[in-house]
Amino acid sequence: MDWLFFGEISLAGLAMGGLYALIALGFVIIYKATRVINFAIGEIMMFAAYLFLAFAGGMEMSPWIALPLAVIGGSILGGVIEKTMIRPMLGESPISVVMVTIGIASILVGLVEFIWTADPQLLPNFLPREPVFIGELYLAPKIAYGFLIGSVLLVIYLLYFRFSRGGVALRATASDQAAAYSMGINVRRVFNMAWVFGSLAASLAGVLVAATGGLSPQFGIIGLSVLVVVIVGGLDSILGALVAGVFIGWLETVAGAYLGGEYRMPATFLVLAVILVIRPYGLFGTHEIERV
Amino acid sequence: MFRNILKKGRRLAGLGSLVAALTVAAPTMAQDKEPIVFGGSIPLSGVFAFAGIHIHAGLTDYTSWINSQGGINGHPVEYVMEDTAYEVDRSVAAFKKISGSSSPATYYGDSTGFMKAIASELNSQGNTLMSGASFATALTDNEAYPYQFIPGPNYSQMFGIILEYIASQGKDGDMPNVAFVYSDTEFGKDPIENGKARAAELGIEVVEEIVTKPGSVDVSAEVLKLRRVRPDYVVFHGYVLSPINEFMVQMRQMGLDTQFMGTFWSSDKLIIDKMGADADGYMGVMPYNYYDSEEGGPMLDALRAQAEKSDPEAGYRPTGYMQAWFNAMVWTEVVERTLDAGKELNGDNMAEALASIEDWDTGGIIGIPVTVRDMSFPVGRIWRVNAEEGRYEPVSDWIHLD
Repeated sequence: MDWLFFGEISLAGLAMGGLYALIALGFVIIYKATRVINFAIGEIMMFAAYLFLAFAGGMEMSPWIALPLAVIGGSILGGVIEKTMIRPMLGESPISVVMVTIGIASILVGLVEFIWTADPQLLPNFLPREPVFIGELYLAPKIAYGFLIGSVLLVIYLLYFRFSRGGVALRATASDQAAAYSMGINVRRVFNMAWVFGSLAASLAGVLVAATGGLSPQFGIIGLSVLVVVIVGGLDSILGALVAGVFIGWLETVAGAYLGGEYRMPATFLVLAVILVIRPYGLFGTHEIERV
Repeated sequence: MFRNILKKGRRLAGLGSLVAALTVAAPTMAQDKEPIVFGGSIPLSGVFAFAGIHIHAGLTDYTSWINSQGGINGHPVEYVMEDTAYEVDRSVAAFKKISGSSSPATYYGDSTGFMKAIASELNSQGNTLMSGASFATALTDNEAYPYQFIPGPNYSQMFGIILEYIASQGKDGDMPNVAFVYSDTEFGKDPIENGKARAAELGIEVVEEIVTKPGSVDVSAEVLKLRRVRPDYVVFHGYVLSPINEFMVQMRQMGLDTQFMGTFWSSDKLIIDKMGADADGYMGVMPYNYYDSEEGGPMLDALRAQAEKSDPEAGYRPTGYMQAWFNAMVWTEVVERTLDAGKELNGDNMAEALASIEDWDTGGIIGIPVTVRDMSFPVGRIWRVNAEEGRYEPVSDWIHLD
């Protein structure tokens, strides 16, 4: 066994898993607060990455100005979607709401094809290109710096949800909407905030992932593959999203390296199947008991 | 920026209206003869739209050009197409609709999947000769696909040309080694087994095989595997852009002096436009001259003039455009040969005419005379990116496989 090789691929997998965790966080924040599974999360990521391309590439802004602008643009898009398309669906069947998010995804794909054409794109280089070594272990610089930037946002989010008034309102709404409403929490505003924060996390992940793997109108499919992470971790668990994101990233990479690239997805779906059998609500998800 | 967006929008809107019209008719011609129809399932939207738009432009422009030359033996040409979004079921539906209403003599298929799916119907109808975007090795099986051909070398033949080039770079007792990197798709896997067999024949060791998802997000683990075997050459297949860029950049960051090569769909100028200086040295196998190459010839000059005339602002035309034009050239040649022989335009006669093509001068589209072998044109040349000049330059002679 080549332990150096194992260490290097593990490190690459864990770093990639950090980005998966960030996307999963986008899913979970929205689901936790609003009980909506947002199938358009990947397309929101894609849209933010295209915004970055427009700002940093087309308008030739500094990438470090373009990055926050693109991320804010993606989060505003999330807020607008919630206010104009999801809120009118309140009280409707969950399937209808899911279908609306699938429709939104389709619209966003059409929109980027219209504006930026269907050509595959690469984002302007903005992350350092010098190889990163941790001890003797090599880590691709884009993955390393992407992980670092993503981690900063993760920490900010965790602190915000734990200590801020907005975070407490969000957690209270997630626990019991009626009680939160009776305590004077503006539940509608919390819903909107959840979409804004969820989309913000996804947007940052979108730019960082696109910086590594390129961008095309089909980029949003990554959002769906991260659905595995969310189900394994538990749809309503932030901790679950983080742990499962890192674990699935590591597993995919190790399976790809030792078994071959064609075994990446089967490996993750095997884990998903096992988790669903043992804990249908995910590793850290809420086990809801429905009494009739 | 916004002016650019508007400009692109207008161009796309123009395309949209073309799609809505569904047909691009030949200019009115003072001819009484029945039109010859080129049909097409064209991916103007969906994952292959980046190429489909140029394929459509190539077929449209060729149709205009051939009609300006008097059509085929006096028959005007009509190009009838539908957008398929690169979905097999929509491609099949488009074929049924077009073949029902317009009786196309020849047809452009947008994918290997479609061309395989439609084979039984094509064979039972026996009226239409088909080629298209696919260079799949399987389609050169004359038993199963008697009315389909490949407008260039098939993917296995492309690997053959690449491997011959690699072998030519080796010195006695010091043959370069190679790694294959391909996508986990039917497209990606197509030439691998034949490629390994050909490499063994040439004495080239395949030191690693890497399979990735088509638009793989992160390939750093795969790059680490390649670092351990330090291949002299990496041959990519089954990609358009990503993750080729990441492999090249990361392997160079590690100090490897590996050379990188790719097949037809991985050898467009898109690689240079998007990767910039990082693309320098990348090599691709290409059966046609690039639009901006220094090569010339009557047909290549006609292509450039027609492209300029139809859209003066478009500038460079990608390989999809060249490929579509060549498809239509072959269709024309086949129809002409069939009509000249006084035969009916059906699948058998056109397939026979195609098989009779030998030492055919393509007027500069391909740099040497070409001969059809097993319903394909097994010819190509290795081109290398000169990033400073922003184009591919030839680094080998034309290689015609037997």
